[in-house]
Parts: sequence; structure tokens; C-alpha cells
Amino acid sequence: MSDRMVRIVEILIDSFLPLLKAGLAFTVPLTIISFLLGLMVAFIIAIIKVLNIKPFVSIASFYVWIIRGTPLLVQLFIIFYGLPSVGITLNAMTSAIIGFTLSVGAYGSEIVRAAILSVSKGQWEAAHALGLTKKKTLFYVILPQAVKVAVPSLSNSFISLVKDTSLAAAVTVKELFQVAQQITARTYEPLWLYMEAAAIYLIFCTILTFGQSKMEVWFSRHMAQ
Amino acid sequence: MMIKIEKVYKKFGTLEVLKNINMEVAQGEVVCIIGPSGSGKSTLLRSLNHLERISSGRIIIDSELLDERKDDIDVHKISSKKVLEICAELGMVFQRFNLFPHMTVIENVMLSPIRVKKVDKKEAEEQALELLRKVGLLDKKDVYPSKLSGGQQQRVAIARALAMKPKIMLFDEPTSALDPELVSEVLEVIKSLANEGMTMLVVTHEMGFAKEVADRVVFMDNGEIIEENIPDVIFKNPIHDRTKAFLSKIL
Repeated sequence: MSDRMVRIVEILIDSFLPLLKAGLAFTVPLTIISFLLGLMVAFIIAIIKVLNIKPFVSIASFYVWIIRGTPLLVQLFIIFYGLPSVGITLNAMTSAIIGFTLSVGAYGSEIVRAAILSVSKGQWEAAHALGLTKKKTLFYVILPQAVKVAVPSLSNSFISLVKDTSLAAAVTVKELFQVAQQITARTYEPLWLYMEAAAIYLIFCTILTFGQSKMEVWFSRHMAQ
Repeated sequence: MMIKIEKVYKKFGTLEVLKNINMEVAQGEVVCIIGPSGSGKSTLLRSLNHLERISSGRIIIDSELLDERKDDIDVHKISSKKVLEICAELGMVFQRFNLFPHMTVIENVMLSPIRVKKVDKKEAEEQALELLRKVGLLDKKDVYPSKLSGGQQQRVAIARALAMKPKIMLFDEPTSALDPELVSEVLEVIKSLANEGMTMLVVTHEMGFAKEVADRVVFMDNGEIIEENIPDVIFKNPIHDRTKAFLSKIL
């Protein structure tokens, strides 16, 4: 083995643990926290739109329009680098969580809304005929069926989010990709290090995809149609 | 009068689907509405619980004003709370059953007593079991609707509607989506309700059933009530030519 090969292997072995740690300490929590908060936002926005709750519908539409129409990286920069100039200073992790939450909320709300609309009109009619209000119909009858429809698309957003969290490197969060950049700056082996980082993302996503298919099976079994 | 329908018109855009409908249903009366598809039978039935809004006219359910409109504008604004209160007195059974697929049979039957009437769970369950016994599906109580035949699903739907202890039952072509061999089990259940004195309005294509059960048969065509009478007269000596033409095609 040439000296260069030996050196590369050494660098890859030495950097594996720091990269994995950064992934577990930042990438994973960032993904999970942002996704859970984002889901809450998504459901709230979707419900506001479906029930047509008057003063909030236009606010909800405006929010979805802004978030979907501007780049996530730009949003992160505005939150982290921009807001301090109006007196709102947030640390890097908080900025990233807010940015990703807003993003998941906007895209997720459209998924949830479409899932709600996919439930047949007859379900609304039957519930109305039984005297249930629209709100009760939504919670007891429509949402449980809509969730099942939304799960595959929402799990896709979750997997996308794992990868999108690499953008947090740009606002100084010490996540997986940021650490890869730092080691690269020291060792000048960008090809191998970024490949290694990619491999760790791949491992995370593979595990999640496996979990996703398990969950879909669970939902189709426990929410028998 | 349990149901009073006065000068009701309904337009979908320029299409007039109900034209000057006047009709009354007394307590304990069973009225069957027959007529060709598109004659407005279902629309009329669905107007009785606001699933369709009438364009003009007045609907009174058990002396409570449900709807009064003129040219698609409310003459009296009825609050949605009031509408739901009145709806709870009307049980409705749909052509396509519309059971809640994510709930078991008994959960379907228990949902509205618990969530609308705030009946406690134990009492709702006892009542649901009694209703399922009545429609002959006690053994299916923990099954999901998808595991049931159409006829069984429709019987569950009837039990679910009865769980609200309605004063009136509305049936919107309850057997039209069923395989022929499953029709009679559903009709038997509806007949037994009629025998118990339930006030019922039934839109149906089952002429044999209408003959046997109805106190009165209403024939509708093209958005109008053409004639109404006791079944004997309607089926044996209809007055109107359109009724004769329809019956000759169907019988």
C-alpha cells in the first residue's frame, strides 16, 4: 500500500468517530425535534385551512407561500445572521430548529391537507347526520383516516429532512457535515471525507427507511380499512 | 306533523331539481318515495338534514324550523348548533353505508351517543349491544366494517343511526348498492322498525317493499311530486300517466 493510501485510511478511521458523534449529537436531535414540532405546525395549519377558520386562513396561506417560495438556506441565514440586527439573537441550534420546523410545517401542512381531502365526502355526511360538529368529525372520523394516507409522504419528508439538516452547517451548527468540513480543512482530503460523511448520512437514512416501512405496515394493520 | 315541507325549490345553477314540493309526514307514518333516477328524491331527503340546502321554501321537523330560504338566501338564519340538534333527531341511512372504516362495528354505533349526547361509555356500550342484537349482528361487534358484506354493513349503519334515538328515520336508497341476495336482510330490519311505529321516509326502488310497508307512496318525476296515495292506489290504479309509464317500466 502506498503512503498516500495509508494516510487516507488513517484519516478516515480517525474521523469516523467524530463524524458519527456529530451526527448523533446534532444531526439526529435536530432532525427529530424539528420534525415533531413541524408536524404539529403542519396539522394546525391543515386544520385551519380545512375548517376554514376565518381570521387564520389567510395567515396560514401567507406562511405556506413564503416558506415554500424561498430557499431554506436563505431562511436559515435570515434567522441566524439577520434577526440579531433587530435585537433577536438566537444560538445556532435554536435558529436551525426554527428554520427546519417552519419548513416541515409548510410542506407537511399540504400533505396533511391533501390527506384530509382524500377522505370520502360520505364520511363527513354520515358524521353530520349523526349530529357531530365539524370539529368533532375532523378529530374522531376524518383525521384517523387521513393520518394513514399521510404517513408515506410524511416519512419521505422526514428522510429529506435528515439530509437537509446539513444546511445547518452554514449557520455554524456543529453537525455532521460541519465537522466533515473542519476535518477536510485540516487534512486536505475533501473527496474521501465528504464520501465518508455521505456514507454516514446513508446509514442514518437506511435505518430510517427501514423504520418507515415497519410503520406503514403497522398503520395498515392497526387502522384496518 | 313530524315533517313539513312547504313550497320547496332547489336549483343547482340553472337546473331546477325540486319544484314546489309540499309534503307532510305524520308521527308513526311510513312514506316511500319512488321515481326515476334524477327525479330529485335523494335531494329532497338530504335537504331534511342540511346535507343539501334548499333554494326556497320551508322545512319544519317536529315543530322546529330547520330551514327557511328564498332564492338561496336564509330568511331565518338557523345556527349550526340548532341544525345539529335537529339532525340528531333524524337518523339517516345512506346508499353507500358510510360506516367509519377505522372503527369496529360497536365503536361505529357508540361514537355519536358518547361524543354528541355525552352518554357514558358503559351505558353507550349496553345500548349498542342491544341495537346490534336487534339487527342480528351481535357476533360481529368487534369486527371492522371492511370484513362485512354490504348487507351487514347496512344493518350496522341502521344500528348506528338508531343509537341517537331518532324520532324519524330517513333511508336514501338503502338497498341500491347491495347484491340482490343481500337486499332482503336489510329490508327485514327496516320493516321491523316500521312495525315498532318509527316515523320513516324511505327513498327506494324496491316496489315490493313499498307496497308492503308504506302507509303512503309518493311518486316523483323531474323534480315534482306527480301523485301520492296509499300503495294500493298507486300500484294498481295510478291516476297520472307518468306514474303509469314509470310503473310499467319497473314492475
